[in-house]
Amino acid sequence: MRAQWKKLGQVFDPAHHPNCPDWMVDFAQAPNVIVFDDYVRVFFCCRPAPDANRQFVSRFAYVDLDRVDLFRIIKIADRPLLPLGDLGTFDEFGTYPVSVCRDGSDLIAIYGGWTRCESVPFNISLGLARSTDDGNSFTKYGPGPVLSHSADEPFTITSPKIRRYGDIWYLAYTAGRRWIRCPDGRAEIIYKLRIATSPDLVNWTRLNRDLIVSKLGDDEAQACPDILFANGKYHMFYCYRHGLDFRTSKDKSYRIGYASSLDLIHWERDDARINLNPSETGWDSEMVAYPTVFELDGHTYMLYAGNGVGKTGFGIAVLEGGLV
Amino acid sequence: MQWEKLGKLFDPTQHAIADGCSLFAKAPQAIVLHDRVRIFYSAQKKTENGKYLSCPQYVDFTKSFDKILGLSQRQVIALGALGAFDEHGIFPMNVLRYEDKVLAYTSGWSRRVAVSIDMSIGFASSDNDGESFVKYGDGGPIMSASHNEPFLVGDPFVQYLNGQFHMWYIFGTSWNRFSGVGEPERCYKIAHAVSNDGIQWERNGRAIISDRLAEECQALPTILFKDGRFHMYFCYRGSHDFRTNTLNAYRLGYAFSDDMCNWNRDDSQAGLDVSPNAWDSDMLCYPHLFECDDAVYLLYNGNDFGKYGFGIARLISTEP
Repeated sequence: MRAQWKKLGQVFDPAHHPNCPDWMVDFAQAPNVIVFDDYVRVFFCCRPAPDANRQFVSRFAYVDLDRVDLFRIIKIADRPLLPLGDLGTFDEFGTYPVSVCRDGSDLIAIYGGWTRCESVPFNISLGLARSTDDGNSFTKYGPGPVLSHSADEPFTITSPKIRRYGDIWYLAYTAGRRWIRCPDGRAEIIYKLRIATSPDLVNWTRLNRDLIVSKLGDDEAQACPDILFANGKYHMFYCYRHGLDFRTSKDKSYRIGYASSLDLIHWERDDARINLNPSETGWDSEMVAYPTVFELDGHTYMLYAGNGVGKTGFGIAVLEGGLV
Repeated sequence: MQWEKLGKLFDPTQHAIADGCSLFAKAPQAIVLHDRVRIFYSAQKKTENGKYLSCPQYVDFTKSFDKILGLSQRQVIALGALGAFDEHGIFPMNVLRYEDKVLAYTSGWSRRVAVSIDMSIGFASSDNDGESFVKYGDGGPIMSASHNEPFLVGDPFVQYLNGQFHMWYIFGTSWNRFSGVGEPERCYKIAHAVSNDGIQWERNGRAIISDRLAEECQALPTILFKDGRFHMYFCYRGSHDFRTNTLNAYRLGYAFSDDMCNWNRDDSQAGLDVSPNAWDSDMLCYPHLFECDDAVYLLYNGNDFGKYGFGIARLISTEP
């Protein structure tokens, strides 16, 4: 049976919200949810205005949504939740994306740290941070990353989604497979979904192989492997796109895909089971990307990014029927 | 330690080096074959944007070092693809014989924007005595920045001792801006890692050699067991104004240990310093210890970080 997702609309767009600070000019990318008693805290990544060289940094933030009216914003983070790294460190130029998970009474975050390179635009590695105040601030575990490029994963390591099942931490992420030099001189990265496990969030064992087949060929890029356990199996929602021309062509930009697994290792891709596509017009008319799925008060919801991979903020959809 | 300097051994500007790598012969490191000593080094070539690429080559000597027997016909290991950790050079490259292979631990260079470079350590092996090396896995690094070693993980020196692989290497501790200096300068320290397979390493982010200077940079450790203890040479310098000011430039440091873990630094025992009016009058750097026919040798670079080649010294005695 095909899962029927019904779009409910756009939830938050910093560019059109009256009370955003100057480090939150636009973008609300890669949303993640932690549910509290009275509100739903949505962590995401935003951007201040670009610098003189039109370069952006990405900052980590949240908005709180009223638990009984998810379109009502009751609070916006008053400062970035993570500092940028010092000169020369892996996260000097941004913390994006970020995945948050409960660890007892703490929250932990695995985040992508951005550095700028000469021959390619960036490199990304994953850092670890912890919050003891419900996510109002996070402290880094150290100045460097906990998961970085390796012998079998030589390029960018990013798009983390951290989960805990039993005593084991599972980190789904994307690993860059190669950089491609485009005719206009820009380099684009092709990345695939991967997974690693850890007892302690610091020492990771990688599976070192792709989780799903690529339906758009070798140059398909896959990101944001958001995993939810429901009805006896693991459901993964992710996004995928063509390797090139995705910035200008609607047909080649991000779509949301689906795969399921019984063991988190072997996944069956079945994109036909999700029907959430770009709208005819509006904030998500060019792409749908960076899904996160959560259960709340008897419903299953998805937050996702729209045009510009979240430049227009994020919206919400509800599942009609259950995950099977 | 008492040494006899044997002089400059190899000057790259006097030879036709493969791949147009006629500038520099940095960080010489030796393996001993049955009829020759093969010395690997990082040659450099200038690229279109005026920056340098380090490309490992070798030169073969007789075991008495009185004659060159040959030069590599091409660089022995390829640089990495677009965006790879070793896209912009391999320097230094540590070599060791293990079983019937030659193993290489490489310092890969990748250029950055806010700072000049980052480094990570790669692994490769050779089945033909080092004529050519094949990178491990998909060619990415086996050791890179970690939570407590945030950048510049490089300068590996690996030995298989007492049933385990040991690596001495450096990691960056800070990038610093100095007044009057345009680019940030890096600071790094020597550390120690262990491994059962030579690929998965355990490390702890701890500097093992005490500082002699404020903001001291320590680089390229090399270790040899002789006369009952472990001897380490490395090079060290100040954090800035070290390229042209000989007072801040690289010198050789020395430490000894009984257990490979706890090291006593005592540069006064190094026994090697700059020589007046010579090729190594302003700087000593990138040391490499090895044994050949029961003698202990030290390869090293002199002035200008090895722009005009490397020299060799022979150990007379481990006594002070």
